[in-house]
Amino acid sequence: MRNISLILKQFSRTVLLVAGFAAMGFTAHAQGDAAKGEALFKANCTACHKIDVRMTGPALGPAISSETDDKWLTHWIQNNQALIAAKDPKALKIYNEYNQAGMNVFTNLSDGDVANIIAYVRDDWKKMQTAPAAGGATGAAAAESGPSDMLIFGLIGVIVIALIVILVLNRVVGTLEKLLLKKQNLPEEEVEEEEVVKVDRLATLKKIAKNKKLVFFIILCGTIAMGSWAWVTMWNTNVHQGYQPEQPIKYSHELHAGVMKINCQYCHSGAYKSKNASIPSLNVCMNCHKVVKTESPEIHKIYDALGYDPATQKYDSTKAKPIQWVRIHNLPDFAYFNHSQHTKVGGIECQRCHGPIQTMKQVYQYSPLTMKWCIQCHKRTGVNGKGNAYYENMVSIHDRIKKGEKVTEAEMGGTECAKCHY
Amino acid sequence: MESNKKYWKGIEELNRTPEFVEKNKHEFAEPIPIEEILSGDGLKSKTPRRDFLKALGFGVGAVSLAACQKVPVHKSIPYLIKPEEVTPGIANFYVSSYEGSAILVKTREGRPIKIEGNPNDVFGKGGTSAGVQASVLDLYDSSRLKNPMQDGGDTGWSQLDSFVKGQLAGIKASGKKIRLVSSTVNSPSTLGVIADFIAQYPTAKHIDYDAVSYTGIIQANQNSFGKAVLPHYNFDKADIIVSFGADFLGSWISHTEFSRQYASNRAAKALEEKKMSRHIQFESGMSLTGSNADVRMPIKPSEEGLAIISLYNALSGTTLPGSKKVSDANTDKAITLAAKELLAAKGRALVVAGSNDVATQVLVNAINALLGSYGTTIDLDNPSLQYAGNDAEFVEFVNEVKRGEVDAVFFLNANPVYDFYNAKDFTEALKKVKLKVSFAPYADETASLCNVVAPNSHYLESWGDENAVTGYYTIVQPTINPVYNTRQAEQSLLTWSDNPVKEYYTYVRNTWDKGLLSIAGLSGQHGWETLLQTGFVKAPAKAAGLYSFNRDLNAVAQTILTHSSQIAASGDGKLELQIFESPNIGDGKKANNPWLQELPDPVSKVTWDNFAAMAVKTAEKLGIEEGDYITITANGYSIDLPVLLQPGQAQGTISVAVGYGRTNAGKVGDGVGQNAFPFSTFRNGTFQTTAAAEFKKTGALKYVFAQTQTHHSYEGRSVIHEGTLAEYKKAPASIVGKGEGKETYDLWDEYERPAYNWVMAIDLNACTGCGSCVVACTAENNVPVVGREEVRNRREMHWLRIDRYYSFNDNGKTVTKEKEINKLDDLDHVSVTYQPMLCQHCDHAPCETVCPVLATTHSSEGLNQMTYNRCVGTRYCANNCPYKVRRFNWFNYWNDSRFENYVQNEYTELVLNPDVTTRFRGVMEKCSMCVQRIQAGKLKSKLEKRPLRDGEIKMACQQSCPTNAIVFGNLNDPNSEVSKALKSERTYYVLEELNVKPGIGYQAKIRNTTELGA
Repeated sequence: MRNISLILKQFSRTVLLVAGFAAMGFTAHAQGDAAKGEALFKANCTACHKIDVRMTGPALGPAISSETDDKWLTHWIQNNQALIAAKDPKALKIYNEYNQAGMNVFTNLSDGDVANIIAYVRDDWKKMQTAPAAGGATGAAAAESGPSDMLIFGLIGVIVIALIVILVLNRVVGTLEKLLLKKQNLPEEEVEEEEVVKVDRLATLKKIAKNKKLVFFIILCGTIAMGSWAWVTMWNTNVHQGYQPEQPIKYSHELHAGVMKINCQYCHSGAYKSKNASIPSLNVCMNCHKVVKTESPEIHKIYDALGYDPATQKYDSTKAKPIQWVRIHNLPDFAYFNHSQHTKVGGIECQRCHGPIQTMKQVYQYSPLTMKWCIQCHKRTGVNGKGNAYYENMVSIHDRIKKGEKVTEAEMGGTECAKCHY
Repeated sequence: MESNKKYWKGIEELNRTPEFVEKNKHEFAEPIPIEEILSGDGLKSKTPRRDFLKALGFGVGAVSLAACQKVPVHKSIPYLIKPEEVTPGIANFYVSSYEGSAILVKTREGRPIKIEGNPNDVFGKGGTSAGVQASVLDLYDSSRLKNPMQDGGDTGWSQLDSFVKGQLAGIKASGKKIRLVSSTVNSPSTLGVIADFIAQYPTAKHIDYDAVSYTGIIQANQNSFGKAVLPHYNFDKADIIVSFGADFLGSWISHTEFSRQYASNRAAKALEEKKMSRHIQFESGMSLTGSNADVRMPIKPSEEGLAIISLYNALSGTTLPGSKKVSDANTDKAITLAAKELLAAKGRALVVAGSNDVATQVLVNAINALLGSYGTTIDLDNPSLQYAGNDAEFVEFVNEVKRGEVDAVFFLNANPVYDFYNAKDFTEALKKVKLKVSFAPYADETASLCNVVAPNSHYLESWGDENAVTGYYTIVQPTINPVYNTRQAEQSLLTWSDNPVKEYYTYVRNTWDKGLLSIAGLSGQHGWETLLQTGFVKAPAKAAGLYSFNRDLNAVAQTILTHSSQIAASGDGKLELQIFESPNIGDGKKANNPWLQELPDPVSKVTWDNFAAMAVKTAEKLGIEEGDYITITANGYSIDLPVLLQPGQAQGTISVAVGYGRTNAGKVGDGVGQNAFPFSTFRNGTFQTTAAAEFKKTGALKYVFAQTQTHHSYEGRSVIHEGTLAEYKKAPASIVGKGEGKETYDLWDEYERPAYNWVMAIDLNACTGCGSCVVACTAENNVPVVGREEVRNRREMHWLRIDRYYSFNDNGKTVTKEKEINKLDDLDHVSVTYQPMLCQHCDHAPCETVCPVLATTHSSEGLNQMTYNRCVGTRYCANNCPYKVRRFNWFNYWNDSRFENYVQNEYTELVLNPDVTTRFRGVMEKCSMCVQRIQAGKLKSKLEKRPLRDGEIKMACQQSCPTNAIVFGNLNDPNSEVSKALKSERTYYVLEELNVKPGIGYQAKIRNTTELGA
């Protein structure tokens, strides 16, 4: 509970501002602003609600659309406990339906805010119904086959071709020899030939071994193959693309980020503020999992780590022991990387580097995280300078941004050593 | 008029000793034997080919093995329940206070990693001393006690409490005395706790005991004006400052504040108005303050009293009985001159003396009263509370112990077994005390003799408050849970005295709620929270009153002269000894701090040692050379110390720093130097720091100091520009000789700098050479500590060093020719110039062009970037750097057991700045212009969608400087502070004739030596 209130606190400033505007612009029952509502919804509601599916709380799409009494809804959202206490029949019904698990109180949301949220939910629900599941195009780029795969296939190809060439050559040599023998008409040889068949294939091998050209060719192929293998291996030393370690808890991003569509920042709260995106602390998990899936053995790992007893709902900090996640994305110590610089300032989506995270049951390292990969992006990506007054004092660049030209990160000095190495 | 003045860093450079010449030929102490290999049969023999193949094989094998390596598993452990205010990766700042001045503590993920000044602090205004910067390291000191101790073994707090309480109950019943000895306590809450303790145990008494004492001044003010206080001095209001041995910029009372005040009347701002204060110093050893003086006269300790009497006579026109001229004619002239100037600046003059002698200070009071200093430059109504030690009281306490009257003694931040002059007697007497409790965080000299040690927490782990000057109350708040099993001393006292307030935090809150918050018009929870953000409350200062002096001085003069005759050394084998507090180590309580030990002493540039400083002439007379050991004997105590030849030292004197020679300080401080405290004596009711000493040369081998002064040579090129105030007033530009047909030429295309051009301006007139910036840089940039042996090998790692230059000033004539400097007499009168030297971030950087792997390159923001992960360690860059500011990692300092005692162990590595890489063996490093701060500042303004503001990004060195000598900023912005500073006529670039186009401009030093008559 405490943590929900913390999150609320963080948003309260925005909320108050929005509320202020709402109070000025709208009457009590004016149509809400769906866009503003979306932000509020994501910030406050997604922990327990989805629009189309029932989670901790009811699926809000049908629930809110079927309820026409906005005034009652506003009361319920702002302070459901009060309604329950006042023995409101509708409120009691919902309360009992959901095993008397109380919904959080949102007294900090103004009437305008609630109107916005309601507007958003109804809009969104309507959209969902008009476009029924048109195949969830994820939009994520298909996983590129990495260069290392290409090379391996190439190598196999080379070896196969080499074998074919050897076989063909062998045949050719054999035929030529036969022809030669025929021409010379040596009958003894023919007799011998019959014996050779009995002597088995070693003789042929020996013969092949005597063929200097062929041996040289085989050795050449072998060297090339070994060499390229060694080169590729060394080139990719410490590049751990695809690294997918077993984690202590089978947490699925596919479920949380994909199906449930929980905003990345809900858990990785540092991603837009700090250098570190940060792995969420367990109290964030507990926001939902106090009531959701309480029977799952994986969730019980969280309880154990926190020293939490689901029966008594009490924490025992003496039993607490932290969870040791295995770090997947490891940048070397000498490279400085800041998430907020890329997400908040650059406006880059998480998936750009982390891949289709919303489809990953178990997270793996999508990008190679090599310096080449960093630099390439810095050279190709335009600076997100629009509306950012920071760039105003960089006269030449600002002019180009204003004209709508693309200014890459590299042109801003983004490939200089001391931008990342210090 | 360009100066041809000769500057030199040490006697060895002046005399061009063979070792000096040899060492300066090479960039590194140990040259690579390339020539031997090339010239000998190295290449002809068969081994190199085989070795080459071996190396090749090994290399391929190693790489293959590395390639086989599986992904190393890194564990990532998030908080179980994340504290609301902590975001991993973002620093939090908390207000706190250290030795009474408000500070900001930077924490990362709950670890304090850096101390920064609070910009609103009344003392430093954001500037700090080196000691403040280094204090964060003590928090993680692995030599600290990890548990409470009883009878030499670890114990638990509850057992300890019941034992102490049982003992105290017994003592209370028997009515025997209880004593609590502490160094000055000015914290209202701590004083309250002590008072409550005394109320519970009525036989208890609290004694303030300072190792370096100011009782003399306090008693003198009691004597002269009936106010037993340490005055608050205003050096910024003084147009002329005369100091007799007071090192007010280095160690005296509130030196950080004094430095700021002093510079404000001498640096850029004052000079713009063609104004500059004048400073005349009379002292025996060359102190930091003396080295900054416009006129400095070396005098013997035995003549100091006489000099003050002469000054009084000259000022008042009377003649005190027994007075005579000082023996040196030059000094006498200087006194007359000082008197004339002081009289001309009545009300804007200040005379201070470092002596702890009551009589001397009474006479100084009389002089200041004559000059009308009270109410202007000296404030007795808002006194300083930084030192309140009472020497006589402590001596009386020792006698009580000797008589067996004391049954319990508590030591709080006091270590008399080390720093009391008669430690031997005291140690013996201490055996008679039944209950000896020390609150020391270390098993120090005193604590190891105590039967109970209740280790006090570090100030960064504690609640508390301080009141360093009347009306200024600062709060101390914890920034981390105790690292070891320690407890605040106040908490222990509360527990032992069964105080109704159980928690010291509650006690502090009560103190503030009941009175202190209301000073700033605050109250309640909101007021408390406001305080925890601002850090202090300040009552408006009372008007400083005028005080007139009307006491008979005849007896005073008599006392001074008798005292002087006692310390006058006459005859062979005798010298006058003066002991002093060094700016770095202080009274020895900070001796276990490796950052402070490695910080070169501002004047001598010696690290990791104390020494016997001697004048060159004296040493010559006595046949002593630098590094020779001498046995010094005074007051029945003797130590062996190596001799250091110190220009400016008064002839016939030896100066020795206290604070060294700790035996139980910890792994770092043990056995560094020798203890000089026992040389002091108890005379006329106070501890005195001068004595007549016998000395004898021992036969021991010469000692090699870890002295950095000549480590980085310019091969005699001129890097300093300076001038006198008169010259500056006449033609400001003449000081640096601008516009004399200098050609500029470019081999390279001009760099484009679309947004920023980061540059720095350093005002040599503001820089006092204190070294605070060096420690700040060390803390910010994870600079390793290398230890004495490696400093000797010329491998210190400081990115920023402060060069100290001597030059001759012979009767106002500048000495320009080699032959003129052969008169060693002149070594008594040297001028000193300090120059902070760091990477100059040249536009035509010579290092960049020689790097074969492009590890050092230029950025579009004017920075010379050093990329550690690219560096292969050829060291070409260091060879090619004309400023000698590049440092090579000879060891993997962060993971090498040889350096474990310094900073590189599992505890102290918690102090590392996570935004800066620690460098590996074989890699070059240098000042990065705090690029992590630049990047963070830019990111912050990007996130806030606004242009970067001037002054928003501050370098670590700039931030810590108490005199604002360093300004950093964007030269592309014509209105930035740094652009303005660089427009000064005094600006010059070091070695600009090389056309390397440095990014750091220095403002030439100006001396106010208009009427120099020395």
